Amino acid sequence: MRVAFVTPRYGTEVMGGAETAARLLAEHLVSECGAEVEAYSTCALDHVTWRDELDPGESVLNGVRVHRFRSAGGRDRAFYELDGRLRLGPRHATRRESERWVELNGPVTPDLLEAVRGSGADVVAFYPYLYYPTVFGIGSVPMPSVLHPAAHDEPALYLPVFRTTYASADALCYHTVAERQLVQRLHAVAERPQIVLGLGVGDNAGAGRPGGEVLGIGDRPYIVSVGRVDDHKGSSMLAAFFRQYKARRPGPLALALVGPVATTIPPHPDVVVTGAVSEADKWDVVRDAQASVSASALESFSLVVLEAWVQGVPVVVNAACPPTREHCERSGGGLWFGSYRELEALLDRLLADPALRRELGRRGRAYVERHYRWPVLIRRYERFLETVVARGRRQPSPSVLAADPA
Amino acid sequence: MTGAAPPEDAPAGHGPDGASDDGAPDDGAAAAFLASVMAEIDEEAHRRRRELPARLERELDELFLEHAPMGNRQGDMSAALRMVDASVFIDPVVPVASQRPAGAVVKKGLRSLNLWYIGYVTHQVSKFATAVSRSLHLVDGQLQELRRLVPPPSPVPVVAPGDATSWWRPIVLDALGSGDGRVLHAACGDGWLVRALQERGVDAYGVDPRPDAVERAELDGTDLRAEEPLPHLRSVESFSLAGAVLSGVVGGMGAGERAELVALVSDRLRSDGVLVLHSLTPAAWFDEGAPVEADLAPGRPLRPATWGHVLHGWAVETHLGPSADDYLVVARR
Repeated sequence: MRVAFVTPRYGTEVMGGAETAARLLAEHLVSECGAEVEAYSTCALDHVTWRDELDPGESVLNGVRVHRFRSAGGRDRAFYELDGRLRLGPRHATRRESERWVELNGPVTPDLLEAVRGSGADVVAFYPYLYYPTVFGIGSVPMPSVLHPAAHDEPALYLPVFRTTYASADALCYHTVAERQLVQRLHAVAERPQIVLGLGVGDNAGAGRPGGEVLGIGDRPYIVSVGRVDDHKGSSMLAAFFRQYKARRPGPLALALVGPVATTIPPHPDVVVTGAVSEADKWDVVRDAQASVSASALESFSLVVLEAWVQGVPVVVNAACPPTREHCERSGGGLWFGSYRELEALLDRLLADPALRRELGRRGRAYVERHYRWPVLIRRYERFLETVVARGRRQPSPSVLAADPA
Repeated sequence: MTGAAPPEDAPAGHGPDGASDDGAPDDGAAAAFLASVMAEIDEEAHRRRRELPARLERELDELFLEHAPMGNRQGDMSAALRMVDASVFIDPVVPVASQRPAGAVVKKGLRSLNLWYIGYVTHQVSKFATAVSRSLHLVDGQLQELRRLVPPPSPVPVVAPGDATSWWRPIVLDALGSGDGRVLHAACGDGWLVRALQERGVDAYGVDPRPDAVERAELDGTDLRAEEPLPHLRSVESFSLAGAVLSGVVGGMGAGERAELVALVSDRLRSDGVLVLHSLTPAAWFDEGAPVEADLAPGRPLRPATWGHVLHGWAVETHLGPSADDYLVVARR
């Protein structure tokens, strides 16, 4: 089976959930299923500017043949004015306005789409729904298409242009049930073949160093939050809540924020901000944590949650984040908070009850073993792609296209 | 370090671990375990509700809500209103701190010069926002009153959905086993009918609202999903289904749900589409041996002939089961 992935950025240097997910699926299809996989992407690393930073042309990355194309247009300055206007009432935007929004958001990649159309692939996977390559590509390829939306509840999701995007998909692949519910609330795609897949998790890749040593805090107990330190990811909120917690509960407990820093966190003696760390250090830090906290309300899957469970570490998530909360509810491996008071009561309970921590971690690990180990997951994905190929290319019904206002 | 081995001591106050044979937690057990722990934590959080100064707690709540998308709060109107109330006042006195020498003085001068103008504008905006906020509070109050008056809808139970040995299986396979196009089965259980249809080359898939009913089949790669039939049909494209089999779900539907079902299948089925309904008879529904779900359902089953009236304009044929406890309706437009 020949599979083509279309994603606006591709590579190990790319920070981004959807792009990383696309790369991991592509690589595991090659290594575990023997599929012939190509990736069609831009030369960009930055999803704001879409500046060409990598060389165009062909290369091979971990068994995947990568075709890179220069962008004819990155994010235009006019985008911000239009975005500001449309996000107030995205459902009421015209189709032309929302197409313009997609073009101004970038990356504009007609060459990439021309190459995909002529690729001869058996099936094309578009990842995620939001950008030009998917919006203008998914309806124009001659082969069956799979849409990996990676959708959040964000204003853009309501723009009319995406009705055609979803209607043009022959099949859909979701990260979580919550994502499927969100998409189906907005788009009539429930009858399409689909799968709730998620992503696979590898084994503990730690080097065996004590987490406290990596963090430079010795034997102090700590909770950890892994991922970009960013206001949008809830990092500032978590740090503020933790400062309040420590004001009421003095003691040795520390908070480690592990990941590249996009938002400055006010210094505090009990808050450690590491910046980007190696994979080994990340796994070591998580392994020795009392709990792993995902404070973000904007996750579409969250590998971080699953990686904590691989090591039997309980997780704490934002109650307003349906995907991470779904992981907790299905597994029984984590708890959630919807206010400072809830976080305080939750941490008090968790830190005082080692048996509860172990039980949560055990349930989380069993959940990962059942659903998210690569060999299991990638075979499901391969079988799914085979059924999509067997069904062939379907076009969206005229009724869906006619429903879009001009 | 948090250990990797299973716990030797179970956490106090929790039930059995609920792991299934392969060691994986099942959703029901996970839900019960979590409900117990979260109830304890919620109770404790509630007990502490006046420990923090009210203003500090409000600031912390607003900080949380700032990063929680409205759509993710599952209809939490009070949280949305708190956000609105927190942003009603537009402050005309802009901050003047600056990292540049004399920057603060310049900014302060500009602020003083413009304050009469900005203040006038922000006063109008604040007035408008206050009026909107008051209106929303009125709507919220009326919604709460409505909720008190109108009981929440009971879920439609799955009652006797059939299995691979059901007498009506060959009739369904005959009715749907030859056409092309997508065929839906609800409630599909472990996918017994979906697989039988697929073996005949039918592009079938299934949904089932019962927890855990489809999980293993999902892992096996069959297109089965844990979904309620009505919400599922709402998200199906018009005229996209070649057939729909509804077994075990129409009997307990209330009148409103049944009316919506008929409207939805009329729109979602192609003009040559086939609708198959399986239900207990009213007599079996009220029999002493009926499943408990029958008592708890919002509605009761129709007599077979009544479907001919409900599906007005369809060609309806009915088949009574051998024990006269259940029946099958096959409807074509």
